[in-house]
Amino acid sequence: MIDSFYLAWRYIVFNRVKTITLVLCISLISFLPFSLKILLKESEHQLMSRAITTPLLVGAKGNSLDLVMNSLYFSKEKPDFISMKAVEKVMDSYLALPIPLYTRFHARKYPIVGTTVDYFEFRQHNIADGRSFAMLGEAVIGVGVATQLNLKVGDSLLSSPENLFDLAGVYPLKMTVTGILKKTNSVDDKAVFVDLKTTWVIQGLGHGHQDVKTIQDKSDVLSRSDKLVTTSTKIKQYTEINLDNLDSFHFHGDPSIYPLTAIIAIPQDDKSATILRGRYLSEQKNKQIVRPKRVIEDLLGNIFQIKEFIDAVVFIVAIAMVLAIFLVFSLSFRLRQKEINTILHLGCSRGTVVQLIVAEIFIIAIFSGLLCFSSLLVLQNFQGEIVHKLFIS
Amino acid sequence: MSINFLFHKDTVINITMNRSNTNFVSKIILFSGLFLALNPVVAEDKPLNIYAVNYPVKFFAESIAGDHASVTLPMPADIDPAFWEPKAEDVAGLQKADMILLNGANYAKWLPKVSLPLFKLVNTSSEFRDAYISLNEGVTHNHGTGGKHSHTGTAFTTWLDFSLAEKQAKSVFKALSRKQPKLNAGFVQNFIPLQKALLELDVQLTEIGNALNGQALLGSHPVYQYLRNRYKLNLESVHWEPEEAPTEEQWNTLKALVAKHPAKWMLWEGVPVAETVTKLEELGIKSIVFSPVSNLPETGDFLSIMNENIARLKTISN
Amino acid sequence: MYGIDGFHLSIPQLKIEDAEKVAIIGPSGSGKTTLLKLISGIIQPQYGSISIEDTEISQLSDAERRDYRISNIGFIFQDFELLDYLNVQDNILHPFRITKALKIDAQTKARVEALSQEMGIANKLNRLVNHLSQGEKQRAAICRAMITTPKLILADEATGNLDPRNKTKILDALFRSTDKNNATLIAVTHDHELLDRFDRIIDFKQFCQGEGI
Repeated sequence: MIDSFYLAWRYIVFNRVKTITLVLCISLISFLPFSLKILLKESEHQLMSRAITTPLLVGAKGNSLDLVMNSLYFSKEKPDFISMKAVEKVMDSYLALPIPLYTRFHARKYPIVGTTVDYFEFRQHNIADGRSFAMLGEAVIGVGVATQLNLKVGDSLLSSPENLFDLAGVYPLKMTVTGILKKTNSVDDKAVFVDLKTTWVIQGLGHGHQDVKTIQDKSDVLSRSDKLVTTSTKIKQYTEINLDNLDSFHFHGDPSIYPLTAIIAIPQDDKSATILRGRYLSEQKNKQIVRPKRVIEDLLGNIFQIKEFIDAVVFIVAIAMVLAIFLVFSLSFRLRQKEINTILHLGCSRGTVVQLIVAEIFIIAIFSGLLCFSSLLVLQNFQGEIVHKLFIS
Repeated sequence: MSINFLFHKDTVINITMNRSNTNFVSKIILFSGLFLALNPVVAEDKPLNIYAVNYPVKFFAESIAGDHASVTLPMPADIDPAFWEPKAEDVAGLQKADMILLNGANYAKWLPKVSLPLFKLVNTSSEFRDAYISLNEGVTHNHGTGGKHSHTGTAFTTWLDFSLAEKQAKSVFKALSRKQPKLNAGFVQNFIPLQKALLELDVQLTEIGNALNGQALLGSHPVYQYLRNRYKLNLESVHWEPEEAPTEEQWNTLKALVAKHPAKWMLWEGVPVAETVTKLEELGIKSIVFSPVSNLPETGDFLSIMNENIARLKTISN
Repeated sequence: MYGIDGFHLSIPQLKIEDAEKVAIIGPSGSGKTTLLKLISGIIQPQYGSISIEDTEISQLSDAERRDYRISNIGFIFQDFELLDYLNVQDNILHPFRITKALKIDAQTKARVEALSQEMGIANKLNRLVNHLSQGEKQRAAICRAMITTPKLILADEATGNLDPRNKTKILDALFRSTDKNNATLIAVTHDHELLDRFDRIIDFKQFCQGEGI
């Protein structure tokens, strides 16, 4: 038996191009269904674990999947906005605790999540370094952001303009990093968390500027009276918030109409959840309340249906691949017919000939299996990031 | 001992992994657990750590909670609490509180600049938002160590309308009961006399208002809007500080005001400087102190100081 | 006698002595290779018997014939039939790797050394056969045929693919080796200029004409 493996090994090494091609083909066709299974299982885990720990989401009426994906995974699809009034409504109902979210902006490629400090307690996140945000303009970043941008506590981070060509749009705001979260193994590792009001400053609903009553440059003032000073747009607005200018920051208009993208509602109990959901179904024409778990279950249901289709396709491709590999082996052995005849002449039995063929196939199968297995191990190591990059963000 | 979060994070995830496993019961436990974790019922043997934005609300909380709460005013005693400028370490203390009692009516001007846990905020005037008084005054002025500010937007000394003060006290009582339901009986026992005292003040001031019968009055500072409206006082305000002598311009403004509003009495937040009192008397205007007691008083408490205020006001009506 | 698909080989009697060197000549299709297959037991006669020394090959089972063949008979082919994926040493040792009847031991390895020295290819043992000349390949094939110390060497057109100079050299090497091992050599050949080196010449034309040996 050892001699058969020796001869098979020598043959395989001599015909390395053919061998490598065969090994790659077999590895790939074996890898595909398992990798799909791993990725889908990880997708299910990532999607469901966030969804199951988020009881209810309140948002604008529309695509519930967009609402869930944006609120839980900070995906690029932005739902329509709701206002702070919706938060007051939830608070005043005493049925649930609200955590507002405003995820409109980004700092480079990382989402800026405007929320309250309750979010960290809700998600059970701890600060690894520094402290939570306490003042306007402060930010807590995920460990992924800190690593990739090489940021530490005390450093600054600039919000990105929404549109390079929208000169009248949101201004970049320089935020101070006050804390870095411990690794959460979730999308929060790659997010920038700020107070909700900071995102309103980024939007321009709040701002800081020189004291209008002491402006000396006449071109900065359009009109002035005892009660009202109207400034021109030339007046310098601060693009960062610090201890020196914090006092100058203020908001205009009614804060209850300030925008949000969603509210995480944590009901007191199931009865409260039912009552709250009932109120939104019957009273609210332009808002919806969804159960993220249900939405994600529907999504996974669709994914699994697609997966079954993909499985069928992979199965057919596998059959084709097996047939092709069978053809390759058949042709190979036909080409070696002379060699086989020679060894039969020399005194080799047919059984030994079969042994030689089996040994060759076995070695190729082993290498293919090893390659497939090690690829799956690597995939398992990075499955979280791959799933997040491919399916969630 | 506080109730701990019912599930470890991993356990939560484990419940959810098998789609067919999630069921009604685990959903109830999960939601309730989350709610309790974020808004825990505190055990009765541990005093609540409460922060208040001004002295009246602090007084209400202390009166109702008694030994079951430690109520903190985070700002120094010589600062107008509405215009306090907290630092990050001050905010950190607030974030750790079990409850943060707000006055409402945009009282705490510093609130939009800090990050506080929404779950712990109690707006004591949320039930009478429609009773807020809007302001049109927009004058900048110095205010002791507090820096420049303006009284635009909404009037915030809601407690000077004692019917509203009673509602604020009730709001504090309800919040305490939700937090420590087992101590509700004690809270009720404490709330009733407070409620009675506040309503009594309301009755007294109503009588004084009737007795004054539209007599012109002056306020040294625009903080008497709720007092004026509730008790039908014919009161107009200037923007003076008790510890500062008014400027020439300010005197001129007063004179112009008095010409249309011939008041004989001026209400002060605190004891004014003698020079100002003398000069006012020269104009035929006497001074009495009606302290809003926004911050911690040196002597007395909210009720005793209000009683003193009312006694002084009564002398005008007699 | 052997017949298949209209072909008939009928040899009344053929006796070859120990250590005899016999050349078999004749037209194509006259049955020369068939005779070699009959002698080596690859195919069975329909009538008659074939014996090598005291072993009646035609009476052995398939497995016994295979074992006898690999242990006692060496083959040399016109196209060398070496395996291009094995080096010279592994090609020489190839018979040992395709049967349980033979085992590689120290003696075997020593014999490889000796044979390769004899054939002048000792310095090429680690090379793949593709790197050898035609003559070197046939010498390697001779080493493979001799490695089991066979009693009988069957050479089918062993010099057929060689140039004239190499033909002589290979035949010399073959004869030397068979002499050394006291083996019998039966060689099918078309090279008439080499015939006088053999002890006996069997012309298969006589079988076509129906004459006996």
